[in-house]
Amino acid sequence: MPMKIRKSESDSQLVIERIHHAKSYGMTVDRSICVGCELCSLVCPREAIAIEKNPKKTGQKAQPPMIDVDENKCHFCGICTAICPYGAVQVVIDGKTIASVVEKESFPQLIREISVDVSKCPANCTECEDACPLDLIKVTQAPDSKITVDVKEEQCPCCGVCEVKCPEGVIRIRKIFTGKLKINQEKCPSGCQDCLDVCPITGALYLSEKDGKVHCNEIFCTYCGVCRIVCPEEGALGLSRSTIRHTPVRSGAWNRALEKLTSTTEMTKELRGKGKERTMEAVRKLLEPRKK
Amino acid sequence: MTEEKPRIGVFVCHCGLNIAGVIDVKDLTDYARSLPDVFFAKDNRYTCADPGQDEIRKAIKENKLNRVVVAACSPRMHEPTFRKTCAEADLNPFFFEMANIREFSSWCHPSTPEEATEKAKEIVRMAVAKARLLQPLKEIEVPVTNKALVIGGGIAGINSALDLAEMGFKVYLLEKTESIGGHMAQLDKTFPTLDCSICIEGPKMVDVGRHSNIEIISYADLISVSGYVGNFKVKIKKKPRYIIADNCTGCGECRDVCPIEYPNEWDVNMGVRKAISVPFEQAVPLVYSINLDHCIECYKCVDSCGARQAINFDQEPEEIELDVGAIIVATGFDIYMPYDDPLYGYGKYDNVITALEFERLILAAGPTGGKVIRASDGKKPHSVAFIQCVGSRNLKKYEYCSGFCCMYALKNAILLKEKYKEDVEVYVLYMDMRTPFKGYEEFYRRARDLGVTFIRGRASHIIEDSQTKNLNIRAEDMTLGQPIELPAEMVVLCTAAVPKTDAGDLARILSISRDANGFFMESHPKLKPIDTPVDGIFVAGACQAPKDIPYSVSQGSGAAARAATILSKDKWKIEPIVAEVTPELCRNTRVKCGICADRCPYGSIEAIENQPAKVVTAMCHGCGTCVAECPADAIIQKHFTDEQIFAQIEEALKKNPEGKILGLLCNWCCYAGADLAGTSRFEYPPLIRPIRVMCSGRVDRDFVLEAFRRGAGMVMIGACHLPYDCHYISGNLRMKARMDALAPMLEKLGLSPHRFRVEYVSAAEGLKYAELMKEMAEKLDELGPEKIKAENAKLKPILDRMLAKKRPQKAQSSK
Repeated sequence: MPMKIRKSESDSQLVIERIHHAKSYGMTVDRSICVGCELCSLVCPREAIAIEKNPKKTGQKAQPPMIDVDENKCHFCGICTAICPYGAVQVVIDGKTIASVVEKESFPQLIREISVDVSKCPANCTECEDACPLDLIKVTQAPDSKITVDVKEEQCPCCGVCEVKCPEGVIRIRKIFTGKLKINQEKCPSGCQDCLDVCPITGALYLSEKDGKVHCNEIFCTYCGVCRIVCPEEGALGLSRSTIRHTPVRSGAWNRALEKLTSTTEMTKELRGKGKERTMEAVRKLLEPRKK
Repeated sequence: MTEEKPRIGVFVCHCGLNIAGVIDVKDLTDYARSLPDVFFAKDNRYTCADPGQDEIRKAIKENKLNRVVVAACSPRMHEPTFRKTCAEADLNPFFFEMANIREFSSWCHPSTPEEATEKAKEIVRMAVAKARLLQPLKEIEVPVTNKALVIGGGIAGINSALDLAEMGFKVYLLEKTESIGGHMAQLDKTFPTLDCSICIEGPKMVDVGRHSNIEIISYADLISVSGYVGNFKVKIKKKPRYIIADNCTGCGECRDVCPIEYPNEWDVNMGVRKAISVPFEQAVPLVYSINLDHCIECYKCVDSCGARQAINFDQEPEEIELDVGAIIVATGFDIYMPYDDPLYGYGKYDNVITALEFERLILAAGPTGGKVIRASDGKKPHSVAFIQCVGSRNLKKYEYCSGFCCMYALKNAILLKEKYKEDVEVYVLYMDMRTPFKGYEEFYRRARDLGVTFIRGRASHIIEDSQTKNLNIRAEDMTLGQPIELPAEMVVLCTAAVPKTDAGDLARILSISRDANGFFMESHPKLKPIDTPVDGIFVAGACQAPKDIPYSVSQGSGAAARAATILSKDKWKIEPIVAEVTPELCRNTRVKCGICADRCPYGSIEAIENQPAKVVTAMCHGCGTCVAECPADAIIQKHFTDEQIFAQIEEALKKNPEGKILGLLCNWCCYAGADLAGTSRFEYPPLIRPIRVMCSGRVDRDFVLEAFRRGAGMVMIGACHLPYDCHYISGNLRMKARMDALAPMLEKLGLSPHRFRVEYVSAAEGLKYAELMKEMAEKLDELGPEKIKAENAKLKPILDRMLAKKRPQKAQSSK
């Protein structure tokens, strides 16, 4: 069979496939999970991912953008899977879910640091489950009153809402991305709350009763950037990322991705850090034999 | 001109019955004897055979002949033979002229012998007229670069390169892809011995890689070729591999760490390769390359390469120039992918594959590890049907037989039977089973003995069961004479071998021609199957027509031997048919002219201000474009002088000019096409009187005017197709510009538009030439002699004046 490249789309998912006679590649975007942020499109090395804004209909809430993948460009490297904080993208090779770039250490994995100390959980408390804006937490209480808290980690962007809502400090979260989100309310068109409409994290943005404009609560922000895409007014919303928590990696592809996601300065910082580590490692090696 | 009075000998050839069967040879010989300056005329059964040549030599000596005319076949066939004969009798070989009465008369007018004889007489008279004005020329000797370029590293090119290298010549082997090996490296086993293909080709590839006389230039494109036999200048562009070849050890550690996989074209996209990889394990040279289209630049490969430091992302394309004496073209073929054939469902049905895909499936080193599995479910098929002649032998697609498909289908059928025994049913649907060479018929028997079912008949279409993905072939069983339905779990389409997609570009770069199917054209289908019309350029293997491995290997070696005939010499003689400026006539001394220098396609003319223009003889290819362009008629083309052509026109139009077409045909395309019409025995009305010129660029406006002045019914210029077919780069374009200006002028003077024609006929278009002749004859008939005469009478005084001004000596001689 000659190689086939296929694309199928529905409201719930986007699937592209490259099928060889004896091997198959697939990439699936789960549209119920995808928030339409810009992260994957920024880092795609083939520039295969495009963001398509949903035109806003008058009188209706702003809709999050959709991503579209060019089936002829995608080569199923898995960088999009690795970077998606919401776990909306999956690459499947020969039936196996895999991100080749991660496997070959060409690209890091995001570090989601979520710790749950169930021993402190009060009985019958479901605050975290109720609070999670993405419905990723499930609290169960066994008949012997043993409590378990299940978090779908691979889909968790580490917003930290649960941590704040937890009355006993059971959940500890460290954010994946750090950065800065600034809304210049003076520039906001009156009555516009598009960013708030599309923000997947309840509480990261809120409508101030004082001036009727949207304000930001950075404690919860995941810096995914979907708000910036829908913002109709240039300069009203400023977003910058500074660090990304990731597994250690030495890769040109990551450096470029990092530069695009954060800034040249931040990338240089990380490189310098790595350089220092390497130097120290080399010095350590030099010193070792002398000790003997 | 020589002072001696011409003493012409005419030798009329019977060519067995080829000529004598139609033309009254005795009458023709007597007629030739009656012509002025003809001192000797004789007919021979075969002039080209030894006794015939002896007779010419004897006649030259005994009758003190100083001009020889042979009326026989096309000069494209035997002119060199007879020139040699003359030289052996101490006559300058350029005192020889050929009258083409076979291809141009007996073969194309068999049902009108009288007219054919009449035409032959006039062709002989034209040749005698030219012979009268011939001048002795000295062959030009050029130095020979003793190096060869072989284009294409398939099995044919490999053999050419190895043979030449063994003879001691330096060989550059140019390969477009990353590795040599060609199609043969893709195959599993080979017929009829069932040797593993790469096992027998691999060692040869390694030999090529290691030979001290061979330099492989892989992953590179041919940009341009200039020069001539013995002295070609070749420009090549090497694509960047982003790997420093000298540092790469071929270990493959970089590939192991690379995260990216992209479709492997070499594997017919059935498998994948890494962004840094070799197309296949046995690649020669074993140098990896990075595909930057897919590379994500993670630099993991750089880390793994480590101290070897073979990776360099800053590599740029590199242009190199080579000097070679001969070129062998062995670029091979492509496989027809039947996407456009809706009946067999290729590309639509998962379990319909091409034979090349099947090769990759059954090959142990292939993407499935040698397991024949269906794409739809990954299971082994229990019935496999091979459908022959997909695309080939199909008038709507490719008319020709691809030659080797019957054999590879047999081979694949046997492999399946031997591998899966009773567990698989194998069917072959064929039109004719063609097994003509050594061991092939026995191989066919072996397949039958193994239980392969052969069904004679063409499959009309295939239907897929949407559930099981099994296939149902509808065909006609010709033996039973009724339609059949054949269920199969897998269908293999044995598709046509087709010319390489870039064959046209290569033909243009090398100035060689292609046949009607798009394959490169040989000089002569039987006697010069490896030569091209360009001296010093040879073809080998499937780029000339589909060929199997033994045939390609033999041709590769044959081409090496042909190239060695040039490379083994220090000097090579080339035809002195070059242009020469008569300094006294050149107006560049008085006014700033330089038209000739501007029009020369080869830049071989220097026109320095206030000095007469000068032709650099070694660079002149002898098209004659400058001669026709020169406003002062100061340039002559040796052996094709204005006087000679005027004399031919005069003789052609002596009798009944209104009923004739005067043809000025370029040697490489239209003349060759007319020859082909003859060899193919296409019959057409005998009205044309053809004059051969090397290039249509040589056709002076004056030739056309002179023909009409002498009352020609029609004038046709036959050229190579625009824009790129011209053997001399742009001679046809120059001719077109010239004639585009002339045509409206003639029309204004009252000439019916159809009477002056510029036609483009390639060497492969014999049929087109014959059709053209018929159509022109009809037009001529429609116009009628009276109208033509009236038009000509009106034109004559004007043309007389125009030509008298330019050529007083011509005006006189026409009285």
